[in-house]
Amino acid sequence: MEGEEFAVGCFLSIKTTLGDEFEGQIISFDRLSNILVLQEGLESGPRRNIRLLKANHIKEFSLLRQDEDPLDVKKCFLDLTSLQAREDSAIRQAEADSERLGVGVTSEAQTLFDALSKTLPVRWDKTVIVVMNEVRVSSPYLPESVSGGTPAANERVRKVLEFERKRMQTRGTSQ
Amino acid sequence: MNMQQVVFPKSSANGFGRQRGDREVGARLENKMQLGKSNQGRIQTTGALAVGKTVGNESFSRDRLVYLTTCLIGHPVEVHVKSGSIYTGIFHATDAENDFGIILKMARLIKDGTLCGYKATTEFVSKAPSKILIIPDKELVQIIAKDVAVTRDGFASEPQNEKHQEILIDSAISQSRHVEVERELEPWVPDEDDLQCPELENIFDGPWNRNWDQFETNQKLFGVKSTFNEELYTTKLERGPQTRELEKEAMRIAREIEGEDTQDLHLAEERGVDLHDDFDIDEEMRYSSVYRGRGVDDSGYEEDEDILLDSHNIETFGDSYDSLSRSTDGVRMPSSSSLVDDAPSSQAAISEDLNCSRPNDQARQLASELPSKSFSVSDSESRIRDKLLGEHGGSSDGNEFPEKQSPSEDLQLSKSVDSGSLLNDKIDGSDKARRSANPTNSPSNALSKVSEKPNSSGKLSEGPASSKATASGGFGLSPSSSMGSLSSEKSTLNPHAKEFKLNPNAKSFTPSQTPVRPLSPVSDGSFYYQTQMSPLPHMHMPVSFGIGPSFPGHQPVIFNPQVAPIQSPQAYFHPNGPQYGQQMVLGQRQVVYYQPEMQYKGRDY
Repeated sequence: MEGEEFAVGCFLSIKTTLGDEFEGQIISFDRLSNILVLQEGLESGPRRNIRLLKANHIKEFSLLRQDEDPLDVKKCFLDLTSLQAREDSAIRQAEADSERLGVGVTSEAQTLFDALSKTLPVRWDKTVIVVMNEVRVSSPYLPESVSGGTPAANERVRKVLEFERKRMQTRGTSQ
Repeated sequence: MNMQQVVFPKSSANGFGRQRGDREVGARLENKMQLGKSNQGRIQTTGALAVGKTVGNESFSRDRLVYLTTCLIGHPVEVHVKSGSIYTGIFHATDAENDFGIILKMARLIKDGTLCGYKATTEFVSKAPSKILIIPDKELVQIIAKDVAVTRDGFASEPQNEKHQEILIDSAISQSRHVEVERELEPWVPDEDDLQCPELENIFDGPWNRNWDQFETNQKLFGVKSTFNEELYTTKLERGPQTRELEKEAMRIAREIEGEDTQDLHLAEERGVDLHDDFDIDEEMRYSSVYRGRGVDDSGYEEDEDILLDSHNIETFGDSYDSLSRSTDGVRMPSSSSLVDDAPSSQAAISEDLNCSRPNDQARQLASELPSKSFSVSDSESRIRDKLLGEHGGSSDGNEFPEKQSPSEDLQLSKSVDSGSLLNDKIDGSDKARRSANPTNSPSNALSKVSEKPNSSGKLSEGPASSKATASGGFGLSPSSSMGSLSSEKSTLNPHAKEFKLNPNAKSFTPSQTPVRPLSPVSDGSFYYQTQMSPLPHMHMPVSFGIGPSFPGHQPVIFNPQVAPIQSPQAYFHPNGPQYGQQMVLGQRQVVYYQPEMQYKGRDY
């Protein structure tokens, strides 16, 4: 790849070996690591969509136009503490989220779980949704799959499940 | 697959620091950070010197790469790998020294490239997130990140967002992001065939007035015999020869009252008078009982009642305030607090509960001038309350009754002194009065304390004292209360008293561990707490508020959210990060207040 074509500020249209196609503006190209840093989207606001692409995975590309350096170095600024803080809070958030995500469950099951969790205390037990620590809903998460708990609780979970499924259906069809 | 999944023990704060078992990576990361730091300078200079736009200068481009990858730290990214799989996670670090392999935290596989064919999304089965995922450079195809803050402005706007996310608002807790769009709300209309609701008001009407007799029904349905006797709950109506006339008279008075002109929205509503034409009133204004300040034209009675009360005061007690002898200077917590009975023996100088004993007039003055919330309600208050203060909600409590007290009583007046600013006018009088009055009083530093405690003393209602609470009823002045209104009132305070000057250098009181408080006057400072005071020992003795005659002194306790981190097994607490989780735990602690020991001077009523 010639240096000229990977000049900062160029707009390229790229197709990757994995089949991705996109356009972006070059922020930087590092020969050593062969990484091309691109900015997608036209706004040069403070927040941008960044893509780091390994140049050896570029299947084909074409130069659209040449433009100015999208990165204004005068405005470049790194606050390591806040980056660190951001990372930590993201991790915390992700950990909290992961409690809610079932492992090895379909997204439909996850949706049901989320719906149930709106009003009932639910947790995952492998692939079983455990409601109020007594009622269990296992795959395929139909009203028939509800077991356990007092009759009242069981009934309630069934009702909510039915309702949720109905809602999912109407939502699905209306969209 | 060449992915390495490494589960590291949860490291402490610094993600950039060494991690057990992977010193190399750690070292590299540190180097990267060095680079990152020094890059700042370098980027600037190279930027300035950039010749044309070529990237001939390797370190220039390398710098940029490093800069941008640093910008990604903590950001959620999507990583495409050679096999076609896509991982998403939080960008943690990249190996800048060598080949830019990357490390993600809490990474999840969202598309599995190894599977042939494309699975419909609904069937996609989720995988557990891995705490740390290292993706070697060889596998890397691309990294996609959206909304990355690249420049200073971007960074500036971020911390606020993060902070806001840390605060657990209800919707986050209830995970309501899974809720679909709100539906259109319609007002409820009763069905056609619903029974008309039985009149609930006329509960004492004879059954002939309504077509529903609950007692009868209960008897029928459940066999319950009623023992209801109307006269147990209300004044017995003498039905004698005078009944007719009395009734007529009563009706007349009722009509008169109900027919009165009112500007009060609530009263108008009750009477069926429609006041709403002129202005734009929403439901909140119509039905809320929140007192919004004098400016709001919610009630038409404010001026009247204040004047009325003032005149009551003057009538009863005259203008002089010399009988302010026993005062203890009360600087009170901003909210509530009823009168505390006990005599102020000078320890009173406590920010939370400075009660000054003093006859009611002053209290009354101030009370009348402090329309803001007060809480301790005493029975006596009800008298004035009906007519004048209905609309004031809490404020009525603060007003006392002229008839009641004899000057010999020591009413503890709690007033809150907000950092000097708001109450200055009014406090002047009272303070002056207090000072001049009692040489044995705790010294001036008492007053200089400013009570800062925000949430305070909610319920300092003492049991026995509540009846005495009339006087101060709460000078619970929350800072937001309409203190401004005070300045507009005419001052009837003692003009001879010394002016209140905030003494910011007054010593702070630090409670000792011993449960017994010395009886000497508190000259060692105020009980002025800031919730951020770290050197304070953590005392969590629950305090009871009922002040009896021989109530022992007890420890002041504050609600200090900044206690040492509590390790909870589930949540992940970052020692350096915001302690939001911990505050949740602490939230269950009782908020307790300091209650000074007061000698009970035997008020008898």
